[in-house]
Amino acid sequence: MSVAAGTIDRRAPAEASRAGERRRRFTLALAGFLGLLLVLAVAEIMIDGSAGRSALIPKAPSISKWLGAIGEPLGYRVFLIALLTFTGAYAALAVMARQLPSRFVIALIAALHLIVFIGPILLSTDVFSYIAYARMGVVHGINPYIHGPIAIKYDPVFPYQGQSWLKTATAYGPLYTLLSYPLAPLGVVGALWGFKLEALLASAATLVLTWRVAARRGLNPTPALLLVGANPLYIIYGLAGAHNDVIMTAFLMGAVALALSGRDSWSGASVIAGTLVKATSAAMLPFMIVGRRRVGTITGALAALLAGALVGYVAFGIHGLDIVAALNRDAAFVSSDSFPTELAHLIGKPGVYPVDHTFLKAALAVVLVYLLWRTWRGYDWIAASGWALLAIAVTASWLLAWYTLWALPLAVVVRDRRLLIATLAVQGLFIIHQAAPLIAPVQ
Amino acid sequence: MNDRERTDPQGEGTDPGREHTNLRLVETTLLVVIAVVLAAATINDLARQVHVNHRLAADMRTWRAITGHNYVNLDVEEDLKHFTTRDVICGNTAPGAPGARPQVCLIAIGPIRGGRRHVEGGFYMPPELADDAYHRYACFGSALLHHWCLLKYVPRGYPDAPLVGG
Repeated sequence: MSVAAGTIDRRAPAEASRAGERRRRFTLALAGFLGLLLVLAVAEIMIDGSAGRSALIPKAPSISKWLGAIGEPLGYRVFLIALLTFTGAYAALAVMARQLPSRFVIALIAALHLIVFIGPILLSTDVFSYIAYARMGVVHGINPYIHGPIAIKYDPVFPYQGQSWLKTATAYGPLYTLLSYPLAPLGVVGALWGFKLEALLASAATLVLTWRVAARRGLNPTPALLLVGANPLYIIYGLAGAHNDVIMTAFLMGAVALALSGRDSWSGASVIAGTLVKATSAAMLPFMIVGRRRVGTITGALAALLAGALVGYVAFGIHGLDIVAALNRDAAFVSSDSFPTELAHLIGKPGVYPVDHTFLKAALAVVLVYLLWRTWRGYDWIAASGWALLAIAVTASWLLAWYTLWALPLAVVVRDRRLLIATLAVQGLFIIHQAAPLIAPVQ
Repeated sequence: MNDRERTDPQGEGTDPGREHTNLRLVETTLLVVIAVVLAAATINDLARQVHVNHRLAADMRTWRAITGHNYVNLDVEEDLKHFTTRDVICGNTAPGAPGARPQVCLIAIGPIRGGRRHVEGGFYMPPELADDAYHRYACFGSALLHHWCLLKYVPRGYPDAPLVGG
């Protein structure tokens, strides 16, 4: 407040207030523009993805043909431009996230979810494997933990299977397989919508829990919500592929929320439920036990494990419980997007060899032991869980975009910002690695 | 509520002071080093993939020039067994959906010159079949020398004219 000749100048605060208002309006206008870019980018992918045959769209029954009427088949160039536009706008929104109204962020995320929900399945045949495993059990009476989809080669879902997975038995937990069973009798298209709805609801649960945990920990929940719910890999790869990783993150965030509200038994049980969807979730349990030091966590986890094992055994026999074997099998796969493959190329090797897997497992074990020690010494167990999940993704020789999502909801609810920066950096590198067809198209 | 929770109601951990600061510094340094290495590996791999894409584009141009067909949907197989730059490019011998007509495949080797690569041989395959020695027929050039074709007859009405090294 300025004082001149004994009188109070009331213009200065008024001007400051006007400047503040102008800045607020500019921020809102910019955010609106960036939000529009996100919506347009994902809409472009979905419209072109519905328009016909594309290498980026798995062979699928037509569920969104009406959308494709105004588009043309999705090519790498358009997809990558849309992905990079989305990523750039997301990064800019993330920077200004603290100043954004929560209603704007919720509306934006809802719009993105709606567009993805009505669009085609993107970039992966996994959802058709989920349907095949469900139909194997329900329609054909075949154990999906023993046989791959090749066992139902005359089923209507068979033509949509990924060629690499025809002989592969399910690697998912018995809880997920049982959750998918009610969708099997709906036919391929009905089941596809069912899995899309399942992913949508799981995403909504993940986001609500992320909001609540962030608020409970005294963090601004709006940026946390934005960083997860408008994340390019979360929307375009995870949700648009109806991947069960979103269900896994819902259970993990449920476990965190329950732990913070003192319901330790349920919290431990929730981690096990996540593990019975996708085994990677188990990585959270040791940190929860060491960080919380509550008997309830262990008893809850044990009770859930016992119940899950019993149900799994009754439903699928001993094979339904052998998640470790499935993990070991998957750990031996190699994808061109994985960091171990990139590192192998960097040092002049053609790819990852079996001996490298031993080295990678050892490196991961060292990281996990160190994180446990840090948690024992007082480090935030939620952050440690996030680091563990990120380390699993980075050391995996089989890395898919949705694996980089495991740590994300945890990263936005911890005060150690390094986890969020590291998670987003890993995602950024993944996206950069996709850009080759944009620089040098093959045609 | 136990002692731990009283001092840490939001479960954020209770890292002690000085030791914590030193550890954090070491951890952050290590993370930065890992980030630099991963970034270098990613950029290197991107550059490598761009280089491969240039080669694959040259393969396709070569196939179109030799066969005289200006088809877009061609299948290029890299040599992922021995990691050489020998590529096999396959495409339809007549207009149709990808793979729906008899396939003519060419074996491209060497560097790109004038936007194309040298073709040392090739073979034919019936439609809708995976590239397998038992499905290949009418080998020519290096494919003939190395016995790439185990289908000993030409299916009736299918093309079989050698395109190089006849």
